[in-house]
Amino acid sequence: MSDSRQADMRTLGFLRARDPQTLAALVQDHARPLYRAARGMGFRDDEAEDLVQDVFATFLETLDRFEGRSQVRTWLFGIFHRKVFERRRESQREERHDPIDEVFESRFDANGKWVRPPADLHQILESKEIGRVIEECLNGLPTAQREVFVLREMECAGTEEICKILGISATNMSVLLHRARARLRECIESKGWGRK
Amino acid sequence: MIRCRELAELLTSDRLRDASLRVRVEARLHLWMCRHCARLARQMEQLRAAARKLAYSFGPTEAETPGEGLEERLMRKLSRKA
Repeated sequence: MSDSRQADMRTLGFLRARDPQTLAALVQDHARPLYRAARGMGFRDDEAEDLVQDVFATFLETLDRFEGRSQVRTWLFGIFHRKVFERRRESQREERHDPIDEVFESRFDANGKWVRPPADLHQILESKEIGRVIEECLNGLPTAQREVFVLREMECAGTEEICKILGISATNMSVLLHRARARLRECIESKGWGRK
Repeated sequence: MIRCRELAELLTSDRLRDASLRVRVEARLHLWMCRHCARLARQMEQLRAAARKLAYSFGPTEAETPGEGLEERLMRKLSRKA
């Protein structure tokens, strides 16, 4: 058993015994990453805090079902993922067809060469306004794509962890990330900052 | 030799680092010769950096605000429920 897994199992023992210091340490370690992810998913600050509270409350209620097969962080983000979809009342199924695929394909000819190469976005990508632009563009992403983007690009989670959190295959994760990043790039370019 | 479309998809899906050695070598050569693909690769890195900066703008970093606000409020609410 790895050191982090052993530490998680010790933490679980203390939490099951309702040890307040262990709960405080758990909140200290995971509240802000969960809060950032909630904001990344487009929840307002009060909604994000409420969502994080809900995640911890559910975690404590379901402690007995947690067998330590995944890390505490992965388990918490798994709860977070289910809460996000509950609140959005959306299906978790990624559509097989996504219009962004056609936009992406339209940039290449039959030989796979660029016919519409990427515009120069250096000015906007390095500007102070890029945060606001990304936030705006994130609102145009389907929830599943947005979640993969938030976990991977904003919370630096690895492929294996994201797949466990979302319950998807590595192939599905790649498709979601490809669509999310392609869509964001198109959105930023469409803001008129890009020059060919 | 890897084509622009294939490389672009590897870049946007962030699968290049997991690709075979042959693909990674071909990709490196391609990026050296193709300014459009090189631009896309740069943009994906810039997008990642900007997204990380945005995430941290949603709240102060842990080190700057030990025990401030959010954690204390959560503890109070969770203790009430326990």
